[in-house]
Amino acid sequence: MATAEERVLDSKNRHMEFTVTGRLVTARPREATDKNEVRGSRIEDRVAPSASELCAPEILAIEEVAGQVIDGIDSKAILNRMADIGPEARLFLYRPQGNVARAEVFEDPRICPEINRGAVIENLKEKPKDVSGWRTHDFIIDTKGCLGDECGRCAVMCPENAIHLMGKGKGSFHEIDPLACKGCYICWVECYRTAADCILVDGKTFDAAMRAKHFGE
Amino acid sequence: MATVLSGNSAAAWGFRLSRVQCYPYYPITPSTACSEQIARWVSDGALETVTINAESEHSAASQIIAAGKSVRAGTATSSKGLLYMIEVMENASGGSIPCGFFIGNRATGAPINIWADNSDAYAMRDSGAIQIFTADAQEALDGVIQGYRIAEDLRVRLPFAVNLRGFTGTHAYEGVEIPKPEEVDRFLPGYVSTMPLFAPAKPVTYGAMLSALPYRRHKRNQMAALKNAVEITQEIGREFGERFGRSYGLFDWIGDQKAKLVVALLGESAGAGEVVVRHLQGKQGIPGVALLKIRLFSPFPAREISRALAAAGTKAVVVLDEGLNHGGVFPPLAQRIATAVQLHLGSHAPKVASVIGGLGGSEVRQEHFQLMFNLADNIAEGKASRAEPYWLDIDEDPIFVENENQVNPKLWKKWGEVWKQQKRKEKYFSPLPQETDEVRIYSRAGQGAITSAVGFTGAGILAGRQLLTVPAFGSERRGAIITTDTLVHGGGGQKIRSFNRTWDVMVLYDDTILYSPEHQALDGLKESGALLINSSRLTVKKLREQLGAGKANVRVFTVPAAEIAERLGLKHINMAMLGALHRVYEKIPLEKALPYYERHVPKPRDLSLEAIRLGYAECTDQGAKKRLKEVRLPVTEEFLAWRPEDHSQIAWPSEIEEIRAG
Ligand code: SF4
Ligand code: SF4
Repeated sequence: MATAEERVLDSKNRHMEFTVTGRLVTARPREATDKNEVRGSRIEDRVAPSASELCAPEILAIEEVAGQVIDGIDSKAILNRMADIGPEARLFLYRPQGNVARAEVFEDPRICPEINRGAVIENLKEKPKDVSGWRTHDFIIDTKGCLGDECGRCAVMCPENAIHLMGKGKGSFHEIDPLACKGCYICWVECYRTAADCILVDGKTFDAAMRAKHFGE
Repeated sequence: MATVLSGNSAAAWGFRLSRVQCYPYYPITPSTACSEQIARWVSDGALETVTINAESEHSAASQIIAAGKSVRAGTATSSKGLLYMIEVMENASGGSIPCGFFIGNRATGAPINIWADNSDAYAMRDSGAIQIFTADAQEALDGVIQGYRIAEDLRVRLPFAVNLRGFTGTHAYEGVEIPKPEEVDRFLPGYVSTMPLFAPAKPVTYGAMLSALPYRRHKRNQMAALKNAVEITQEIGREFGERFGRSYGLFDWIGDQKAKLVVALLGESAGAGEVVVRHLQGKQGIPGVALLKIRLFSPFPAREISRALAAAGTKAVVVLDEGLNHGGVFPPLAQRIATAVQLHLGSHAPKVASVIGGLGGSEVRQEHFQLMFNLADNIAEGKASRAEPYWLDIDEDPIFVENENQVNPKLWKKWGEVWKQQKRKEKYFSPLPQETDEVRIYSRAGQGAITSAVGFTGAGILAGRQLLTVPAFGSERRGAIITTDTLVHGGGGQKIRSFNRTWDVMVLYDDTILYSPEHQALDGLKESGALLINSSRLTVKKLREQLGAGKANVRVFTVPAAEIAERLGLKHINMAMLGALHRVYEKIPLEKALPYYERHVPKPRDLSLEAIRLGYAECTDQGAKKRLKEVRLPVTEEFLAWRPEDHSQIAWPSEIEEIRAG
């Protein structure tokens, strides 16, 4: 598989460096370039995490506290306090680097406990909604044509987070979750392999007239 | 040892001690100085905070909300600025983001008005934030620190606002205890967001769209959390007291524990009420009186306030609102109290009357509290009162009517019968004792009078007294006449935070002020008082003529302050005037004040101190020994020389002609 040429953008950013490969722009920390270490282009690699600072605390119910060994807290005292409060008791546990920095028992103020405080959505917990009814066509990626983890452009562009990478390295490919895909055509337009070669609509590459309309060919 | 701070700097100290990590702001009168102070600390390196110069209040609020998802964030605003923030405010409360707002309360117009009332805070009351009202700089500082504790409590997690009345609160300088940072750290541990925005292991979405079912369930949760803040405010106020020696609750009950008559209000105006309550307490024929100074406005502690009123056996509550509820039955505070007592006490509820006052910078004076207690007495006796608000200081619509021709005839038609029942009772209006000395400085903006009065305040506090300095100014230019008032209290005992407005010492920075048609500078000067004037041309005889009859006993002091400043090469006369003030007001002796000045006077310190000493030495009540040449500093010359007409009549036409000719 031929990879497009990599080009470094001229940027004043002191921390990040931007490279262009074909139509894909990748950001990576400056140091990485010094070591000549080329990292992949998947989303996870593009964020520079300082995990210690941005660690989310856990909020545990009494069963969850009882069901595990937590180093650095007096589990017995905490369980007692939680039992005093009742079923609404929660343990706020903050372990930035695996060590307990804050452990606080409190009474959950919620009346409707299935809704997060602030109506915040935890993206990884969120059950995918079945939006297949919105579609008028089925979108499928031709696994043979897909560039796999070398590309990932469609996965980034998909507004419904419906496209997932399957496998790693050579032979990896992208797949569209048929329940999550709403049929917006964005992946089809954005696919690096000039669309219809790779992303099939209703099992077909799209007709030439449509292609010409979109790409002016 | 107390430090002299303005309300704004005290709030800034609150943010500093709370270690806010992000402070976006867009300055607006009268809370600008709070943000300026934070920005100065950040640029000096004293504070590690990300400040953002937002392009509007809307952006500042959006930024504080975004920041508050991960770190501790705060900002300050007022008036229209707050109204502009309200649009996004529900994203903070709905998103459960515990960020902090300091509000220097100000009118919202139109017409434009930069002075104080609670309109802005009232406009914010339905945006889901915790609203705390404070009455002085100390309460504001403590309020910000406690605000973060309350807001970040896991049972609450909502935004909070600390309110302080504009100018008389935000610009008043007084002694403030600044808690030790280590102690504040122990009281207020660092903020850990339950849902940080950029935690890679747990990505989250704030503000996603929700359909009706989860939306209403979420709002139910939000209300439950806000309600929790009542109990938690009390808990945290108590804990604050244990650690720092200043306890706070949901409200202060000032006066008789069994008060039959209560005046309820929010914030700073309570200062004048306290003086009246102390005066009326135990007076012949007056039932127990008390002031209900409410600290937590939202969530409203309805049950706790009703219980307190029931326990005291209160018969009548007069509620003072410094803001309106357009189209409502009662203004916001009166409405909350009236519903609270009806719902909690039913047929045992005290009668509630509403009074609107203090709008757009109107002062709520001591005599107003006498009126309100009189009104409470009348309605407790069963006299009819209005089912709509009374107003303070509206001549056509007074609370009590002596003679029906004095009131608006339309109102008389409507309320005449009620008015006839409402009688003024002289026992409420016996003259109030004056426990304080009051000093007023008339100066021109830019002469440094506020600096000298703040120095005087610090020195007085060091000498063991309580002082309060309130400058008053508006939209004037440099060189316009402003006043700076200082209240000196004997020290110990009750704190007094209200001016009687009769002056023991009147200081004029400039003799031209005597001739300003707009200012009757000598009005209100007590007969036993003293006049200090910076003048090298007016004779004592001439000044006495100005004072007129009835002021024969006023002592008149002159000091050639401009001449001293010129001799020393100083730009301002304020230090010489400060020295002279110690000569006139002997209760704070100069030698006791000097240790304070040695550390705090403006640079160059040695010259400033020398000016203070010379001002003290050359101030005399004998008139100038010899008529000195008239000295004016360049800065005064500049003020006096400025004439708008000059530009319009002389400069403009010639330029226009030039343009025409060219
Ligand atoms: S059609 Fe739209 S929703 Fe479906 S996979 Fe492609 S980008 Fe995603
Ligand atoms: S389907 Fe197209 S855009 Fe998506 S990863 Fe494969 S080649 Fe790239």
